[in-house]
Amino acid sequence: MTDTMIAPTEKNSLFMEQLDTLAGPLKGEKSPGWVARLREEGLTRFRKTGIPTVKDEEWKYTNLSALAGHRYTPAGKSALSPAQRKDVRARYCGEADVNIVFVNGTPDKELSNFGKPPTGVEIMTLSDALTNNAAAVQEIWAHYDPQKDSAFVALNKALTREGIYIHIKDKIIANQLVHILHVTQADGEQIATFPHAFIRLGKSSEASILETHVGLNDENIYLADPLTDVFLEENATLHYSKAQKESLRAYHVGTTRVWQKRDSTFNGFSLAAGASIARNNLDVVINGEGAAAFLNGLYSVYKDQHVDNHTSVDHRVPNATSNQLYKGVLNDAARAVFNGKIFVQPIAQQTNSYQLNKNLVLGKECQVDTKPQLEIFADDVKCTHGATIGQLNEDEIFYLQARGVPRKIAARLLTQGFVDDILNRLTRDSVREQAARMVAPSLEVLEG
Amino acid sequence: MFEIRNLHVKINDTEILKGIDLTINTGEVHAIMGPNGSGKSTLAKVIAGHPDYEVTEGEILYEVNFKKINVLDMEPEERAQEGIFLAFQYPVEIPGVSMSAFLRASFNALCRHQGAEEMDPMDFDVFLRTKMKLLDMDEKFINRPVNVDFSGGEKKRNEIMQMAVLNPRFAVLDETDSGLDIDSMRIVADGVNKLKNKNNARLVITHYQRLLNYIIPDFVHILVDGKIVKSSGKELALEVEDKGYDWLSGK
Repeated sequence: MTDTMIAPTEKNSLFMEQLDTLAGPLKGEKSPGWVARLREEGLTRFRKTGIPTVKDEEWKYTNLSALAGHRYTPAGKSALSPAQRKDVRARYCGEADVNIVFVNGTPDKELSNFGKPPTGVEIMTLSDALTNNAAAVQEIWAHYDPQKDSAFVALNKALTREGIYIHIKDKIIANQLVHILHVTQADGEQIATFPHAFIRLGKSSEASILETHVGLNDENIYLADPLTDVFLEENATLHYSKAQKESLRAYHVGTTRVWQKRDSTFNGFSLAAGASIARNNLDVVINGEGAAAFLNGLYSVYKDQHVDNHTSVDHRVPNATSNQLYKGVLNDAARAVFNGKIFVQPIAQQTNSYQLNKNLVLGKECQVDTKPQLEIFADDVKCTHGATIGQLNEDEIFYLQARGVPRKIAARLLTQGFVDDILNRLTRDSVREQAARMVAPSLEVLEG
Repeated sequence: MFEIRNLHVKINDTEILKGIDLTINTGEVHAIMGPNGSGKSTLAKVIAGHPDYEVTEGEILYEVNFKKINVLDMEPEERAQEGIFLAFQYPVEIPGVSMSAFLRASFNALCRHQGAEEMDPMDFDVFLRTKMKLLDMDEKFINRPVNVDFSGGEKKRNEIMQMAVLNPRFAVLDETDSGLDIDSMRIVADGVNKLKNKNNARLVITHYQRLLNYIIPDFVHILVDGKIVKSSGKELALEVEDKGYDWLSGK
């Protein structure tokens, strides 16, 4: 099959033909009727949107025709060899953490510790949650208008087979990190996964959650379309990091939606360490006064990888704060897209919003498209934004050379400095160290 | 140990240095004074190997292991590895790179060049703290990014602290006194003097005589319009302080 021979519209129809194969109920699902209705809604919505093309303003710089041109199969079972299990555990599962591991979209009970969640923390698979705790899931879902769902959110809702439900009860401070790890390893088939996570923090609670997506074999072609819904009650604080390092040939189109109530804090970090095409959407709705959202991000890509970060912060109430810093390193012939939307609704006076995107370009054939997008309908607000695209600073390199450091090592040190500046915002050592390991390969391949 | 012969330098087609000759022996301190725009800082940067400057004529010879090598053929890092040091007039801020990471990279590069083993990070930390104490620098700087949010005086102290860490044979101090209050200047000058011995040499570039009360030069050279117009002993500095530079430039 040669991709170049197929026109975009045909590719889209190829993808559409697969929907019935990919769709199906959760295994042993005993979920209420409204879930089936939501699935149907998702499917209907996706049939309407299709796979977006570059004519869609939201996808102007990210062409999905390669993604649409494959035939995918539903995620199979966990197929890890003992050596791979050992490797996954050593590289990604912190001993002190609560690890919830999915392999090819299926919960892996052996690698996970579902059994002993910390006090005041509920962790269960999505299918269990829909059986036992459906009302809570429904309440989170009810906040969003399905008619406005993006194509990949709709697709996830239509096709999700499994996921996770995490609930931190009121006033619980959960110090232990909860790590949701998605591993894909499927030699010889092209699988698609649609995991859905619900994270709900009760009043005045605090938790740290890390969501990681990794591929074990850089040759594997697959599609990951995860959706994470975060719901923060009054005065809750969530430290949430999402890290993805998919295979070099994989497609990752993920969305995290955050709903914030009064005085809550969302302290988010997005790490994009590559895929063939990776798109990370982070949509925050600030729906309570005094809430604060911190969106930090690092993308670091090389070879011909393409990474696209879309953030959206919707200030719907007065007196809230949002602060974004996304940094990117591009090597070889990589491409990056950053689009940061900030909406300040007419009622949202005294909003304080800041956004900065900084790009360090190391390769000669890289391309960056960065676009801040502010839509401000209130008049008494403080909103600033900026974007930079630059190369390594020659004065800094010379300063290091004048201290005996060879140019190549100087460049590596400065690149690491650029990256550390943002990684240091990850205050939990295990998360920061994992993040540093994930981006390391894309920093090493420096041109002379 | 260090000899500049008929050095001509230009930047963007403007000739800045128009034939400099200067010989410095081990154990000596030389001072170069001159008005703004005379080419003092250009000379410092050319010695360190700044890529913006083009040498059109002349050579810079430096004695390493009893052999004279032409500095102009060397990369900036090779010069530093051979013991040439420039204390920058405007030290560069490097966000994201800590002082300890910066200096460890530098120190280890010199170790590697000399065939010595790299210092273990913990040992290096201890070593670095002793050098910071020498310059009366707060230990908190060790984990701060290089020169970021340092005051003018702190940056200059940091330059001399780096000199203490690397212990160069030939050091050029480019306007190390500018922006320093009298107390800081004394600390900086003390640091420089403590590092002085009979096997190394210094070239002190300054606009004012003040610094030379603390770092006593053996020779003073006056640079005007890209040429050394007068060389003499340390008393020349006082004379310049008194009369200015005009009488030397023929104006």
